Amino acid sequence: MLEAQATADMVLMNQPFSPPEATEQPIEVVLVKAVLDGERDRFARLYEMYAPMVHGILVARVPRGEVDDLVQDIFLLALKKLHTLRDAAAFGPWIAMIARNRAMDFYRSSRETVEVTEQMAIERPPNRTAKEILDLFCRLPEAYRETLALRFVEGMNGPEIAARTGLTPASVRVNLHRGMKLLREKIGAVARP
Amino acid sequence: MRVGSKAKWKIKTMEDNYLWDRSGEPDPEVQELEEILGPLRYQPRPLEIPDQISVGRRRSFFPAMAIAAVIALCTVLLGFWFSLNRRQAAPPFQAARDSQTNQNATAPLPQVTPDKPAQQAASVVGVKSPPIQTRHASTRNLLARNNSRGTQTRVRQRALTPEELAEKEQVLIALRLVSAKLNLAQRKAQGAPQLNMIRNQHKIG
Repeated sequence: MLEAQATADMVLMNQPFSPPEATEQPIEVVLVKAVLDGERDRFARLYEMYAPMVHGILVARVPRGEVDDLVQDIFLLALKKLHTLRDAAAFGPWIAMIARNRAMDFYRSSRETVEVTEQMAIERPPNRTAKEILDLFCRLPEAYRETLALRFVEGMNGPEIAARTGLTPASVRVNLHRGMKLLREKIGAVARP
Repeated sequence: MRVGSKAKWKIKTMEDNYLWDRSGEPDPEVQELEEILGPLRYQPRPLEIPDQISVGRRRSFFPAMAIAAVIALCTVLLGFWFSLNRRQAAPPFQAARDSQTNQNATAPLPQVTPDKPAQQAASVVGVKSPPIQTRHASTRNLLARNNSRGTQTRVRQRALTPEELAEKEQVLIALRLVSAKLNLAQRKAQGAPQLNMIRNQHKIG
């Protein structure tokens, strides 16, 4: 009896140690799968991760007062359409595209209907200078505008922007460099009337 | 000049590095923009998910594919079954015909032997000779078989009256007579041996 137990112990000791399988999946994949499996609360984590990026994309495109509501709308829409996302790892680029499309829809639907009211005249931007710079952003090409907004407004650095939006680091670097150059020119032009 | 351009390039790269990942020498312009636009940064706000919003389920195409596959399989099997049925329905008819023709081919032809001239004569006169009877019997059988396939031919023969039967017999006898005469004429024309010629005759005793 004792011999058998000793043999079993030896067999167990001789077995190669297998460490628990490391999950190499990106966190987005795990979260998306969990949400699709019914854990809706996990979507809040995705929201926390990507809300700044969506906010940065919208800041460069729509009036500041609309941005926060649009961010919520976009995430709710993403939750509804999450099953259409084929590659869960591409959640960032996917929601960035939704945000861009939603911003375009906003202008399509509101261009003819938004009226200038007294309330709007009274509302002052939080910082006049910031408003002026955002106006200058709007005159830049879209790619530069978005990357600069993510860099200056949301405080992301180049690698973070690349990771979140799905752009290549080289593209982000070029966008930042050329966008900054154009912005400098526009700021200089505004400063020298 | 070279040193100047190199220094400019170095400054530019450092500025770019700061713009890229905040490493290197800070660029005052970039810093200023960060300070101005920083307050507009996203302020965390909880996501309010209404209860009526449900997470869309990933559509599974498996049931639809399975149904389509079953339908396709059924169609193929039905087609196969129908083609098999057709094939099975056709051969018996052919086989029957083949067997009949074989029977006819294998059936001993009535040979008019020289030692049976009486029978020949009888046949000419109208008395039924056995070989001719067998020949006609086979044709009659064939007729009968054809009639038995009433479902296919759907030819109805009404019952003949005794007078009609007698007339029919007369016509048949006349036909046999004509046929025998024609045979004789043909043999004469071909120079074939006469019917009453004795062949393979051996002396007995």
